[in-house]
Amino acid sequence: MPASRMVPACLLTLAVLLTTGCTGSGGTGDVLRVSGSTTVNPVAADAAAALRNQEGTGEQPRMDVTVDTQGGSAGGLAQLCSGEIDVAMSSKPVADSDRARFPDCDHTPTKIGEDAVGIIVRREVYDAGVRSLTPAQVRGIVEARITNWSQVGGPDLEIFVYDKEPGRGTREVLDEYLYGDADAPPPPDSDRFAVVGGNEETRTKLLSTPGSVGPLSTSFVEGYPQLAAVALEGVQATPETIASGQYPMSRPLFLVTDGPPRGAAKTFVDYVVSEPGQRLVTKHGYLTLAQLEG
Amino acid sequence: MSAPPAARRPRALPWPGVLTAAGVVAGLVAALTVVQFLVSGAASGPLDWLRLVTSAVWDPPRQDFGAAAMLWGTAAVCVVALAVATPLGWGAAIGLTELTPPRAARWLRTGVEVLAAIPSIVYGLVGIAVLRPLVSTVFGVPGGDSLLAAGLVLAVMVLPTVVAVSVDSLAGVSDAHREAAAALGLTRTEVIRWAVLPLARPGMRAAVLLGLARALGETIAVFLVIGRADGRLPGPGELLDSLARPGQTLTTKLGGPEPVLAGAAGPHWAALSALGLVLLAVVATTTVLGVAGSRQDPTGATGRWSARRCLAAGHRWRGGADRLLGAGLRALVAVPLVLAVAVLAMLLVRGHVALGPSFWLTPSAGASGGGVREQVLGTLVLVGATGLLAAPVGLGLGLLLAEYARPRVRGVLHTAVLTLGGVPSIVLGLVAYDVFTRSAGWGKSWLAGALALALVVIPVAALATAARAEALPAARREAASALGLTRGQVVRSVLLPWTRPGLLTGILLGLARAAGETAPLLFAATVFAGAGGIPDGVVQAPVVALPTHVFTLAQDAADPAALEAAWGAAVVLVAITVLLLLVALPLRRRMETARLEAAT
Repeated sequence: MPASRMVPACLLTLAVLLTTGCTGSGGTGDVLRVSGSTTVNPVAADAAAALRNQEGTGEQPRMDVTVDTQGGSAGGLAQLCSGEIDVAMSSKPVADSDRARFPDCDHTPTKIGEDAVGIIVRREVYDAGVRSLTPAQVRGIVEARITNWSQVGGPDLEIFVYDKEPGRGTREVLDEYLYGDADAPPPPDSDRFAVVGGNEETRTKLLSTPGSVGPLSTSFVEGYPQLAAVALEGVQATPETIASGQYPMSRPLFLVTDGPPRGAAKTFVDYVVSEPGQRLVTKHGYLTLAQLEG
Repeated sequence: MSAPPAARRPRALPWPGVLTAAGVVAGLVAALTVVQFLVSGAASGPLDWLRLVTSAVWDPPRQDFGAAAMLWGTAAVCVVALAVATPLGWGAAIGLTELTPPRAARWLRTGVEVLAAIPSIVYGLVGIAVLRPLVSTVFGVPGGDSLLAAGLVLAVMVLPTVVAVSVDSLAGVSDAHREAAAALGLTRTEVIRWAVLPLARPGMRAAVLLGLARALGETIAVFLVIGRADGRLPGPGELLDSLARPGQTLTTKLGGPEPVLAGAAGPHWAALSALGLVLLAVVATTTVLGVAGSRQDPTGATGRWSARRCLAAGHRWRGGADRLLGAGLRALVAVPLVLAVAVLAMLLVRGHVALGPSFWLTPSAGASGGGVREQVLGTLVLVGATGLLAAPVGLGLGLLLAEYARPRVRGVLHTAVLTLGGVPSIVLGLVAYDVFTRSAGWGKSWLAGALALALVVIPVAALATAARAEALPAARREAASALGLTRGQVVRSVLLPWTRPGLLTGILLGLARAAGETAPLLFAATVFAGAGGIPDGVVQAPVVALPTHVFTLAQDAADPAALEAAWGAAVVLVAITVLLLLVALPLRRRMETARLEAAT
């Protein structure tokens, strides 16, 4: 095509594209937008796929759900209130500080299951004697005052801490456990400290670093014998201790909406708490609502 | 031959002028949006600039924003990258132009072009899967996350820039200088040392500056291997040790979760915008200085070499030294080729799933199963839309630069276009996120992604068009004018057909780069799951795409299935980029040949 016609052709195509696009899109009604925690993400992604594929079964109409994990739990809550998404995934309860940050937003959490944040260490450290830690010891480790595993009954091996980046649900659950309502201190002045984002990245980096430790959903280390979750104050994270709340870092998983769920958001949330949805919760290693009651 | 009757001549439709005006307006709006976004962001909350550049404490909950550690991290990774890439790149460029026969040189240049064409997310994957373990073993860095690992990834990424710009500069030195020096009895390496390098030096320095600009603006590849630890500002005695430790750069901070968490105003957002401004200022300055240097004419009067000095430096071991140096330079020539072959081999071996058609044709399933059909479609949609958006604006800006602007305005405009080309892609991503996703209420939208990517392509297209337009032989223009064509008619009937290959090459080269950009898509255009490759609508219409797919899978590299899928998707992405280049590069070569023929 000669240049003299190429450019008007481009412009025309573009104009057509834009007009059809702008008028053709029905705005926010068509697609349900879900974003937030990488812990809740596997369940939500599977639920989205199930809802998308159930056209023809007659149970519910086919619906489109997009799932994203930008910024983790806090990212989801922030995007929910700026109207960027319809449902936020959160791996921590909505805190008063969240409500204070977004006064115009009516955070309405729906609990979909329960999980535990584990302090994950490497198998060789676990086997050498680091089976249980106290809050004081964990605090010492993340603040880099305890720098060698031998200081907590383990091998003579330097500790390397992977902390979660700010806003991750896992990080906030850990902070709550270690510091209660007080603010967590800034990152330690340590050379053996790095920051990770999602659960997958945390697992990848724990697996590749000798002497490493980091907070991570216990479900994400199942099937990885090189890693182990230590007990906290002598309590292992088991379905029983998580359900009873005896394990100190057990945490509920939520889908959060702005006000009670309506329309497509309600369909989605209802599906996740229904029996087929709860099977997905089990599939990814979390405790279902029924297990918590029973 | 007589001119056709006036009635049959192309009518003087004003559209080239209208197009130029539209291109300029679009380009201006884009540039202003970027700057205005950062400035108003930085002004949206209280901001202590002094504290920002001097304090190492970055603590958003306590509203304490010091970026000194990030400035150090940025400087450190760039120094590492250039310390490795400069000697290798200069040596390879010298060996390539001075000591390699033309036929072999063509192969080696292809190696450099392949390295340059590999998208940064693929380097990120190489970084997390290969370089981290390597740095961990060789340098004893726990896990491998460190400024050093980030610097080494960047070294490979900037090497092709250093080589290519240096080669241009060396090739610009007239053979008359080489012949004169050789006639004085100088050995081959002495000719290089005393006659060629003094003339090529400004261009070779510019090559390093342009490499630096690329290193400064890179986000994703660094993000995956640097550890992202805040507050790590080493004392004077531990500068070297700190390289083996995790750190943070300006780009990795902006690429993290904080822009989403900070809200659209207030001190946190102001501090992040300020980081963007600092980054933009540094990258733009480096780019402009680098391009200014690389455009200096090596045969001009600015460079001088002195026969007397070089003869005075002669010594007894000249023959041996010549052979040794020559062998060393020839060995360096192989470095880019070896790296290119190594990366390609790694891709093919580890990404072998992508070699069969089924990986291309099946949609992905779950987190890491299935193929990449939708991701391929999404990338093609983004690349196609980006090309459509960038073509008219690029052409308009190019015509303005070459045809309509007065010389002084042209200089300013040229700098402006270069600056736009130097805007780091993470900044483009944040602009698209804030303007379209958040403020305009588009949510994630493929068009927001394409608009951001268009800003990557437009400068490349505009400069290529302008360069081609300036090369229009004066005879053609004179012939057209002699036939009585007005200026508008000359532009339409003579200049536009002439610039077509320039525009096309610029667009294709720009798109090859845009296809692999990750940061803008991550913030504005793509989601993890639930979208397809073909969007239905514009607003609230995310897509899935290959770069962000690789990015997600690369973070799960400990899972063998995810790692295999990541390499497979990387192979597909490289294949798409290479296809774009396969069209663009021969076109560019043909234009170069035509230019040379026209000149003789």
